[in-house]
Amino acid sequence: MRVPAAGRLRLAAIALGGLALAAYPLLRSDDLYGQSVMIFAFLLVVMAGGWNIMAGFTGYVSLGQSAFLGIGAYTVALLSLHLGLNPLLLAPLGGVAAAVVAAVLGATVMRTREHAFVIITIALLFLFQTLALNLAGLTGGSDGLTLPLPTWDRDIQNLPFYYAMGGLAALSVVESWWIRRTKLGTGLVAIREDEDKAAVIGVRTPAYKVLSFVASAVLIGVAGGVYAYFLTFIDPRGMFDILVSVQIVLAALLGGRGTIWGPVLGAFAVVPLNEAANSIAAAEGLRLLAFGLALGAVVLFLPLGAIPTVRAWWSRRQRRQVPAERRRPLTVTQPAGPEPDRPAPMLLAADGLARRFGGVNAVDACSFTIRQGSLTGLIGPNGSGKTTTFNLVTGVLRCDGGTVRLDGRRIDRLPPWERAHLGLGRTFQITRLFPRMTVVENVVAPLRRFSWPNLAADAVSGPEARRATELLDFVGMAPFADHPAGQLSFGQQKLVELAQALMLEPRLVLLDEPAGGVNPGMVEHLAELIRELRRQGLTFIVVEHNMPLVLDLCDPILVMAGGRVIAEGSPAAIQRDPAVLDAYLGEGWGKASRRVEV
Amino acid sequence: MTHAVQTVILGLLIGGVYALLAAGLTLVFGVMNIVNVAQGALLVLAALLTFELWRRFGLDPIAAVVVTTPAMFALGWVIYRLFVARIRTAPVSMTVLLMFALAITIEGVMGLTWKNVFRSVTPSYGNQSFHLGPLFFPKAQVYGCVTAVVVLGALYLLLTRTWTGRAIRAASENLQGSELVGVNIRGVAALTFAIGVATTGAGGSVLSVLYAVFPASHYLWISRLLGIVVLGGMGSVPGALAGALILGVAEALTATYVSTRWAVVVFYVVILAVLLVRPQGLAGSKLREDVAG
Repeated sequence: MRVPAAGRLRLAAIALGGLALAAYPLLRSDDLYGQSVMIFAFLLVVMAGGWNIMAGFTGYVSLGQSAFLGIGAYTVALLSLHLGLNPLLLAPLGGVAAAVVAAVLGATVMRTREHAFVIITIALLFLFQTLALNLAGLTGGSDGLTLPLPTWDRDIQNLPFYYAMGGLAALSVVESWWIRRTKLGTGLVAIREDEDKAAVIGVRTPAYKVLSFVASAVLIGVAGGVYAYFLTFIDPRGMFDILVSVQIVLAALLGGRGTIWGPVLGAFAVVPLNEAANSIAAAEGLRLLAFGLALGAVVLFLPLGAIPTVRAWWSRRQRRQVPAERRRPLTVTQPAGPEPDRPAPMLLAADGLARRFGGVNAVDACSFTIRQGSLTGLIGPNGSGKTTTFNLVTGVLRCDGGTVRLDGRRIDRLPPWERAHLGLGRTFQITRLFPRMTVVENVVAPLRRFSWPNLAADAVSGPEARRATELLDFVGMAPFADHPAGQLSFGQQKLVELAQALMLEPRLVLLDEPAGGVNPGMVEHLAELIRELRRQGLTFIVVEHNMPLVLDLCDPILVMAGGRVIAEGSPAAIQRDPAVLDAYLGEGWGKASRRVEV
Repeated sequence: MTHAVQTVILGLLIGGVYALLAAGLTLVFGVMNIVNVAQGALLVLAALLTFELWRRFGLDPIAAVVVTTPAMFALGWVIYRLFVARIRTAPVSMTVLLMFALAITIEGVMGLTWKNVFRSVTPSYGNQSFHLGPLFFPKAQVYGCVTAVVVLGALYLLLTRTWTGRAIRAASENLQGSELVGVNIRGVAALTFAIGVATTGAGGSVLSVLYAVFPASHYLWISRLLGIVVLGGMGSVPGALAGALILGVAEALTATYVSTRWAVVVFYVVILAVLLVRPQGLAGSKLREDVAG
């Protein structure tokens, strides 16, 4: 594969930087202070990189990330003291311990959202600190634990620590880079941008969040083992220190959270601050003041961090040419289409759906069926429960009563992602693309099923990305593939969201007002796409207020009013149905039997 | 038996003080969706101010409530206007980080001003008690609990009997709705934040008699308070009151029958357990943000 010039330059810069860091302790072998500062900088790279996976990619901020340092350190120190093995050999077990704690904790807290997560991570840190203090028989309590001095020749001094920690720092960058370009990474960013939408496109959010938490903890645990041996002494206050968490957050935030290099840049910026504060101020107060003010300033004035801010400034300077939309045909795989002379089998059946909001019965005793291969219109006055019905069918909302069956299988108790895996795709009335992801990332994000190998699948190249490009070609948005989705026009977003739904290889697509707020040319374009997909056997339900479009596109049409389906039939029949006229125009119109002019 | 009753009584007395402290935290969360993790630092600051007033002017710590409460109210107002208002619309996580930055800044200032030494106010009644049969009621704890109840009562009247209070409650139930019916959201937010911080004034003064405080003890206090509001259900003031009494008693029982060293673990375990089993707590519904259409 050919690497473009900019990529070659970047690779060369990384290699050069790595080489310089590797040569440094050999060239300045007597500068022990400098080496230990670098070891701490590497440690901070590992910790900030880990934090960034959870907070930057997934959007869950932790204030207790330094707990994993302590967990790794104590695990390795205790094992080493009891087994008599070298701590460096045992360091990976520190990572295992951190991963186990993260998995257990993650599994318990993953039903909650961001502020609850912050609170839990603070509690976790102090809980472990208190445990380390109180379980004195095991941990030595506030006296701490002393590890044996390194066994190697005194001439090489800090070198093993330097290279071990440097290697971990490099590994953490590779870990972030790799996660970001897999389907797992795309799913994590989707959760950060819009967690409910992520579930609708098949992302099994709890599993993703747990994985992300584990991935953010494991290297910190390993580093904790190495660091404990480097210090040769650990105690609860030093190892479960919330100020270390502050430095982690500050580093990642300053460099740019959600980026690969942000934590690295930030760590190397924060370490000098730490050293300066330590040397100038003997008083702990000044150090706290410095970090408090620095963190506050970054949150208030540089919330995106250095790298994204510079990147935004750069892209503003470079005027981009706006490409034109362009289409290519597409084949969607569907089970054998309906036989012409027999009625198509039932695909979706809703029976007695109910949903209340407070005292309002938004949907009540709503029943309907959708036949395979049909293009059903769902119309009704505002507030009649159309979107709520969509939400109940796709699992965005839970039903208070009633059942939904897809192909005979009950799905009304399944979480949204499982319904997506079974073949339900949907678009939203107000599009819900992930605004800070590019168009192609948006389309790659959906998951057709949950499997471990699939999580590691490459989202940037390979079959997934190729399929996404095909879909973008089909809706005509391929020229915009690398634009952030948030910059598109509303109509273009609708096209991309349709491509996103198609990525699920759905059997049934629910479109919520595809033509709402879109210019007429685009409406015709969308209608054409829908017809084409339908010809290939895909089934649709369309909520729409544009009556000429519905009457032209859909057959049959369902009419909702007051939270239930009041009429069903061909466009011609619906236009004459007295109940429909009553629903739209008020009591009495139906009896007068006038024809609605549409 | 007497011993157990005595422990529960002491737990309830301290629970009353916790209730006041937690009320401010949960009120701010309910209206503004801000987890004010600086509440512990502000509390310790108020306690140290009380200590200073007592040392310099001999002002009784309970009487100091009338000074510290308005002072902390003003500080809260300033903090809101200068910092919090700038990131009102930012994600919850960013406001938490800002409040945390504030907490360690205050900790740093306190460390420079009062040094890292335990401080406590020791008025003459500090080691006296009321007696009722075999039971005793330490005067400091009784006065503290009574003060807390009086301030809470005033807060209750403010929230239920005044237009301002109604505006605050409306904003906590439905921010957009209350804006539509004419509530000045920004004014209400600043006021709520200032009231929330003001509770640390009264609370800190009471605390200065009951506990020795030093700058870094704010972590312990914010842990206690978060435990209480999580148990009560974040955003719910009645929930916070119930949570405070329950955890006050639980802490006293643990300290008496297990060990004082394990007493604080009660709060951490409660946070983890509640968020696992019943994320909405006793009364609230905010913490578990089930999807809405």
